[in-house]
Amino acid sequence: MHKTVDLHIIPRVEDEKSCIKIAQMLKSAGYRAVALTLPTGLLKEHVRSIRNRFTDSGIEVFVRIDISCANRQELLRLLRRFRNVYDVVAVKCVNHTLGLVAARDRRVDIIFFDPLKRDVRFDHSIANVSRAALELNLSTLFSESTLLTKPMKEIDIATQHTVRIVLSSGSTSPMMIRTPEQLSAIGMALGLNVRQAHDGVSAIPWSIVEHNVERRSKEYVEEGVRVVKKRVT
Amino acid sequence: MRRYLLIRIYSENHTAISGEQFNDALLSSVRKYFGEIGVNTIVPKLLRFDPHRLEAIVACQSREKDLQAAVALIREIAGSSTAALTVRISGTIKSLMT
Repeated sequence: MHKTVDLHIIPRVEDEKSCIKIAQMLKSAGYRAVALTLPTGLLKEHVRSIRNRFTDSGIEVFVRIDISCANRQELLRLLRRFRNVYDVVAVKCVNHTLGLVAARDRRVDIIFFDPLKRDVRFDHSIANVSRAALELNLSTLFSESTLLTKPMKEIDIATQHTVRIVLSSGSTSPMMIRTPEQLSAIGMALGLNVRQAHDGVSAIPWSIVEHNVERRSKEYVEEGVRVVKKRVT
Repeated sequence: MRRYLLIRIYSENHTAISGEQFNDALLSSVRKYFGEIGVNTIVPKLLRFDPHRLEAIVACQSREKDLQAAVALIREIAGSSTAALTVRISGTIKSLMT
C-alpha cells in the first residue's frame, strides 16, 4: 500500500487535548499523512501550533478547506480567494447546480455530498463532467438515519464514469478514527473493488496532495511547466 | 476460510468494557449492516477478550473484510463512545499474538 492519508479530519481547534488525542489515534491507526479542515479566520500561529501537534506524532500535515455555499458566484469567488492558500480544496455540494460547477472546475480537488439531503446526490450528469474526486466520509455512515443505498449508488455511478473515489473518516473526535484497512473494508462493503478501496485511502488522496504541493511551489509555472534553472544575467 | 482478527478498543473516558458487552456490540453491528444472512455466513465469534488491555480476538468463518467493516462501524459500547480498530488479521491465533 502507498502512504496512507486521511483527507478529512476536522479537529476542534480550541481543544488542544482533543487535537493531541486525534494525532495519537491517527498514528496508532497507521496513517502517514492527514488533511486538517481548519476555520478560515485562524491566526497563522494557531495553525502552526495545531500542525505541530500532528507533526510531533510523526504525521505529515496538509491544510484543507471545505467550501459550502449556495450559489455559483459565491463558489467561484471563494475558489479564487482560497485556492492558493490551502493544500486541498473540497466543496460540499448543497444543491445540484453547485455540484455541477464544483465538479467541472479544476481548482476543486474533492466534492462530497450530504447523505441526509435526499434531493442532492451524485448523479450521472455530475459524474460525466467531474474532474474532482468524490469523497465518502465514514462519519456520515455513523448517523442513525443514513441509508447505505445512497453511498452505494454514488459508488456505482462514480465507477461507471471512472471518477476517483476518496475514502475519509470525516472525524471530529478521536473516537471516530478508523484504520485505513477498515476504511477500505467499508468501501468494499459498499461496492468498491479491492484496488479501488485500497487506492481510496492511499494512492488517490496522496496524488491529490502531492499535485497541490507541487502546484504551490515556487518552481511551478503552469500545468506541465516548471522552472528548472534561473538564467544568470 | 477461517480468519482471526486482533481488535483494539479505545473508549472515551476509559470506561470499563466487558467481553459480553463487546460481543453484543459486534453482533448487532454485523446484523445491522449485513443482516441475518450476513451473521450466518460471517459467523463472528469472540474467542478472547482482555479487559485490561482492551484487546479482543474474533474469529470468522468467511468474509473477513465484511467483519472488518462491521467492527469499524461500532460506535458505542455500553453507552460510551468507542473506537474499535483492527490491528491485525491472520490465519492463526499464534501469529496474531507474536
